[in-house]
Amino acid sequence: MRKALKSLTVSTLALSLATGYAMAEDLRFTVWTGNEAHLDMLNGIADGFEAKHPGTTVTFETIPAGDYVQKLTFQLAGGNPPDLGWMFEDSMPTFVAAGAVEPLTDTLENAEAYDLADFSDPAMSLWKEDGEIFGVPFSTSPFMVFYNKDMFDAAGLEDPLTLAEKGEWTLEKFRDVAKALTKPEERFWGFEFKDGQGYDTRIMHAVMPPIRAYGGNGWSNGECGFEKAEAVEAVEMLHQMVFEDKSIVPPGEQGDYFSGSSAMTINQISRASKMPEAGFEWGIAPLPSGPAGEAPVIGQAGLVVFAKSDNKERAKQFIAWMTNKKNVEVMAQFFPPARVSVLESDAFTEANALIPPEQMKHVAAAIKEGEVLPSHERAPQILAAMKPRFDALWRADADVEASLKAICDAIRPQL
Amino acid sequence: MTQGQLDRLKRAMWVLSLSILAIPFVFPFLWMVSSGFKSATEIFGQPSLVPRIWRWTNFVEVFEYQPFAQQYFNSLYIAGLVTVLTLILSSLAGYALARMRFAGAGLLMLFLVSALMVPEEVTIIPNFFLMRWLGLMDTHGPLVLLPVFGPHGVMATFLMRQYFVALPKELEEAGRMDGLSRLGIWWKIALPMSRPALAAVAIITFLFSWNLFLEPLVFISSLEKFTLPLALANFTDAYGLPLWHLQLAATSLAVVPILIVYLIAQRQIIESFAMSGVKG
Amino acid sequence: MATADDTSAMARHTRVPWLTLKRRETIEAWLFVSPTLIGFLIFFLGPLIAVVIYSMSEWNLLSGGQVFVGLANYRDALAENPDFWHVIRNSVIFAMGLVPMNMALALILAIALSRPRRGVVFFRTVFFAPVVTSAVAWAIVWKFLLQGEGGTVNQLLALVGVNGPNWLREPDWAMAAVIVTRVIKMVGLNMILYIAALQSIPRDYEEAARLEGATGWQVFRMVTWPLLAPTTLIIMVITTIGSFKVFDHIYLMTGGGPENGTLVLAFYIYEQAFEFFNVGYASALAMIMFVIVLMLTIVQLLLRQRGAT
Repeated sequence: MRKALKSLTVSTLALSLATGYAMAEDLRFTVWTGNEAHLDMLNGIADGFEAKHPGTTVTFETIPAGDYVQKLTFQLAGGNPPDLGWMFEDSMPTFVAAGAVEPLTDTLENAEAYDLADFSDPAMSLWKEDGEIFGVPFSTSPFMVFYNKDMFDAAGLEDPLTLAEKGEWTLEKFRDVAKALTKPEERFWGFEFKDGQGYDTRIMHAVMPPIRAYGGNGWSNGECGFEKAEAVEAVEMLHQMVFEDKSIVPPGEQGDYFSGSSAMTINQISRASKMPEAGFEWGIAPLPSGPAGEAPVIGQAGLVVFAKSDNKERAKQFIAWMTNKKNVEVMAQFFPPARVSVLESDAFTEANALIPPEQMKHVAAAIKEGEVLPSHERAPQILAAMKPRFDALWRADADVEASLKAICDAIRPQL
Repeated sequence: MTQGQLDRLKRAMWVLSLSILAIPFVFPFLWMVSSGFKSATEIFGQPSLVPRIWRWTNFVEVFEYQPFAQQYFNSLYIAGLVTVLTLILSSLAGYALARMRFAGAGLLMLFLVSALMVPEEVTIIPNFFLMRWLGLMDTHGPLVLLPVFGPHGVMATFLMRQYFVALPKELEEAGRMDGLSRLGIWWKIALPMSRPALAAVAIITFLFSWNLFLEPLVFISSLEKFTLPLALANFTDAYGLPLWHLQLAATSLAVVPILIVYLIAQRQIIESFAMSGVKG
Repeated sequence: MATADDTSAMARHTRVPWLTLKRRETIEAWLFVSPTLIGFLIFFLGPLIAVVIYSMSEWNLLSGGQVFVGLANYRDALAENPDFWHVIRNSVIFAMGLVPMNMALALILAIALSRPRRGVVFFRTVFFAPVVTSAVAWAIVWKFLLQGEGGTVNQLLALVGVNGPNWLREPDWAMAAVIVTRVIKMVGLNMILYIAALQSIPRDYEEAARLEGATGWQVFRMVTWPLLAPTTLIIMVITTIGSFKVFDHIYLMTGGGPENGTLVLAFYIYEQAFEFFNVGYASALAMIMFVIVLMLTIVQLLLRQRGAT
């Protein structure tokens, strides 16, 4: 009891101290990484800023990724707003529409030696609204095919990278090799959706690459694309792979690529950090191309300043600092950059200790060409409306076309 | 068949059928602990209650993954604080409702009893704004205030009242002869005589706070302020996938101590729940 | 000194006729209940009134604007949003599955464990253990056990030649799974309530019936069951109301899915309020939940009265 009271007083004390510092411009910065290497790097970047602006401190606060948007919203609505933070691409339109994030254009245009034009246009499109910049992407990471080279070699098949170099890495080829590598009795699959979550939290990551390769889209300009012919063909192919070829890890099943249960998966290069402990030879390759050619897909995360912040100007300056050329180079060791100058430098292709430069070239190419997943200011509602209808689609006896039509019917009111 | 044989057969049937019924009650605990020792890959391999390789490191990683010791302590001290406050407030109010005659008592009872039926989900939204206004977001304040003053506190009050009602009047009168005030009677006579009820309230309240989930989920956002249930639900990697082996190791660490206490004091604990349930 | 004495004496003098013993008792009693009462007003009754007001506004947590819209949120729920009736249907199925199963199992266990004999304490301890376990831990473990083909339950079923379903991925199986695991979690509580009730039935009643040649089943039907009726009624109401409040179990095991198959009211309120930040609509849902629980309570009171006369 006494201990409890003591800890209560201590935490009140800490609280009042914290508010005291706020006067001296303590910037609270929310992130969803708890990784120490990431935090060390971020703190290093903050140190340089603090040296330039005495009296300013930057504190990074980790909120788990799964609850990030919710807890962040609670803090913003709960009178305890952070000053700036990371933002998921799919949440960005919601925050912009709600007026919860600050415009950054002035600060960035006037920042010393910043070179705003260095950011590639497609990479910035998501973070702009009516010509005003509301966020700066710090990670622009393409989705790549990870493959288990040992499994391809054992089966005597050419691996995806070789096929891609020859220009033969197509969706049909992808389907063929996935089927060839599947061994049902040993519980090995040819392909696993991103992190095995293709039926749950990663629906869009599962279906969008083939839909784009077929020339379709989830939605755009208020129009639903899932029911169009291109998307139907693409999803039908996936459906057949899951339930006829049985070459994709099915719903409710564990077939982790990283522990060697699947021959291929699609993921971002940050996942390469998991590979050294995997214990097999591996490589990365571009997404398979389709009838509409190559259609790289990228995932982004950006930096924003919250409208509720008390230290907006300082926070904006910090974003300008964090995304200047030098710091983008520093961050490139973990987060693929959106600055063309960094992307084209040898420093980038050689920056990743795990991925050889010839594979990194494909990464750089995908970043430049890649398109983000469709987004929307009502994304949470759209995804919630989609989820149950996609559940119905991932059944062996489902009518794919009808299910996709039902998905469109469900999300159309939100678009 | 003799009567003795028949009895033995009946007993064997009794033991056998209850044992089969008990499987889904015991099995999850055993599997939880055993899986907590397995590696991420073994966990979905051939099912076996005994891990092929005992990975003690899971239990170290649990503490590296998030400030689990701090979270554990948070749950302990919050539950302790809630228990003490509930004991004091519920026994004071329960005593007044049981032993004192005062205007408005009946109405007050009716008023309070209505709270027992209202789910927390109904009041959680306004409480969110109340706590924001009080500046208690992301503090442990709501996790103490809401259980103490919400429906659970009312339930405790009624439990105490029920017990006080049955106490013999004579002892209080003796106390009054000795010049004790009402507060003195409550503290020196009524409370010492109500140990079973106090113990029941303490046990149920502690467990109630210990297991609370919705309130921490809504009010707490910093990892180091998490309570155990939140922490357990949070064993996912940076992308939201469950880290089963760590999650189950952590769950074992959270559940096993409670189970041990329960096994030692099972009679007392079961009776406490019986007391709180019967009056409902 | 003297003046102080004088005033206090005066005060005493004037106070005495007003502060009768009865009044003193009333004031003291209100002081005793005041901490509980004040907290109750602030953290319970106030919010209960506030939720009525919230339910008549359009209010998004992120953008913050609050606009009065009258009964639009209720109209939205009851007449426009197809999800709402789906949620109500799920909640009713959940309750209708959970309550009878819970009560039947509780009664069977109580009958088996109400007489003192060797092993009774052991089994009671076992069946009650999940009650003291955190619902979060329970849900986590069962979610793990009920994974698709790799899951432990299905692997064990496979050993006896049963091909188990993909429990948490099929809407109907998922509903069954959350009901059954919830019953296992909570049945111990009703079991001890039934045991207490059974033990309070005098043994003579049953023995008298047996002497008249009644079989075990007849004794139960004609003697025990009617005497248990008040307990049964209480348990039924508590369990039904409890089933409407289940949140953590659903949140952790299925998240309301698949195909919204386990989306129940408590979870729906949470989702609307704290994931989509629709404060107004969620408050209207909360009010609807309040009314449902209130009606259940009134039904219980009426039944009780009828039983008493």
